[in-house]
Amino acid sequence: MDSRHAISELICKSCMTLDERKFGDYLDLCAPDYHYTITAYSPEIRKDMTWLEHDKTGMQSLFANLPKHNSDQSPLSRHVTVYTVEQDDDAKEAHVVSALQVFRTTLDGGATELFAVGKIHDRVRLSDGQPRLLDRNVRLETRMLGFGYHVPF
Amino acid sequence: MSRNSAQWKQRPDFPETHFVDTEIYTDGSIFLAEQERIFNKCWIIACHESELTGAYDYRTFNHPGGAPLIVIRGEDMTVRSFYNICPHRGNTLLYDPVGNAKRITCIFHAWSFNAKGDCIDISRGKQGYQERFGCENAGLREVKTEIGFGGFVWVNIDDDSCSLREYIGEAMGMLDEQLSMPLEIFHYHKAVVNTNYKLWHDTNSEFYHDYMHYFNRITGMMQPGYFDRKYTGYPNGHASVGSMSIKYDAYEGSKQRGVGWPGLTPGGWVLIDIFPGMTYNLRTSVLRMDTAIPLGPNKLVIEFRGLGLKSDTPEQRAERVHDHNQIWGPFGRNLHEDLLGVHGQGLAMRERTDSKWVLHGREENMTIHDEGGMRHFYAEWSKRMGRNAFDPQHMIDTPVVG
Repeated sequence: MDSRHAISELICKSCMTLDERKFGDYLDLCAPDYHYTITAYSPEIRKDMTWLEHDKTGMQSLFANLPKHNSDQSPLSRHVTVYTVEQDDDAKEAHVVSALQVFRTTLDGGATELFAVGKIHDRVRLSDGQPRLLDRNVRLETRMLGFGYHVPF
Repeated sequence: MSRNSAQWKQRPDFPETHFVDTEIYTDGSIFLAEQERIFNKCWIIACHESELTGAYDYRTFNHPGGAPLIVIRGEDMTVRSFYNICPHRGNTLLYDPVGNAKRITCIFHAWSFNAKGDCIDISRGKQGYQERFGCENAGLREVKTEIGFGGFVWVNIDDDSCSLREYIGEAMGMLDEQLSMPLEIFHYHKAVVNTNYKLWHDTNSEFYHDYMHYFNRITGMMQPGYFDRKYTGYPNGHASVGSMSIKYDAYEGSKQRGVGWPGLTPGGWVLIDIFPGMTYNLRTSVLRMDTAIPLGPNKLVIEFRGLGLKSDTPEQRAERVHDHNQIWGPFGRNLHEDLLGVHGQGLAMRERTDSKWVLHGREENMTIHDEGGMRHFYAEWSKRMGRNAFDPQHMIDTPVVG
């Protein structure tokens, strides 16, 4: 498998594992020093906003605590399209930009609605034999998420 | 034992101040009366002054009474508000939620206005109106505007209203010191929920629902001092809830909050509800402000703001943002749960579901699980609406109050 193919597969797997709530498998795709953020720009206050930020341990805690919370259980479908992959051979990293659409399907009846759109900006480590997510920024265009969601995009 | 239809509809065996008829959440005519008798009479938060830092900066705001507003800072740095309606053909003047406009020009026929609401140009005015009509007849409708209580911009549609300070009275006393320094907004988002605005304010007026929040149970309810927090009611339907020390590190993956807030004890938490739908929520390091803007009896948009101190270092601000996001924001642990709660109420109480009563009957000496905060709100609501919340279809002169 060439490296671009492997990187694209990593991005897709990260979405599939979250869709399937296989959080351990998701974390296996991440480097030990993984860093995750959800950000958005608010035209209303003319500021960049950070809506979620965790390191790998923080993500582990977030997933571990989920069963203790009352959450919307509607499944999400994360559709991702890898746009660009820029490899930095010296740093053994790749910068990846992907389009993201998140769909939510209701449990009662199964109606699907578009929940959010944005882009994923990933930094991928290439030095460990197989690519690992090192830094992910989910940059949302959508800022109205109704009653929200407990699981990261 | 389950109940039959008659039993289901039977009045609760409580004082009449301790329950409400769910029609107050669903009836369209009651909602229209609320817009007229409550929202168009009360002081409402439109935005924060840090959203309008420079001359001619503006924010648009859809007032819950119905009027679309422009809030704009003038050249003299005074913040004023006007209807966002062109007096010519009724067009929207400013379309964007935010911007800078030294001259407000209607895109339709190019009538122009300044930041004081004066009409400054009517295109081909003399040719069309001769001496019959001019700029002096075409000013914008100004709305009373005051800044206060943490630098929020308050508006009141009623030209004859009391001052903001008279309206708030002593209700903000618990935060006088904490809000005395300049604040700055760092978070803003809206949520639309199919529910009634009062149900959201109710959620902000009772803590019995901490059973819904794992985070609050583990860091608050199970900690010393939780059951000592007390509600205090104030004139005009406002209420406050006293502080305690939250044990943030009791939640896995969380830690005690370091940055704190001047004048607030470490881990402290003060909440103040302002009638009819605004809540100051100062929780250790972050101020959250909710503004409930009803779009109909069963449709609500809530504006959520997160604020820190204007003097914050980047490190302090980052901590506040992190603290905010842990429980609030669209991905926070608590906000999602609160919104699910009122979403569920909206589903269960919409018209024709045969819901009938909502109980506000808990009495615990006005401590944290007492439902006196809601009773205090509905006493004011009943007075302003001229009807009792437990019997909302009958107008009366003197409502029953708690």
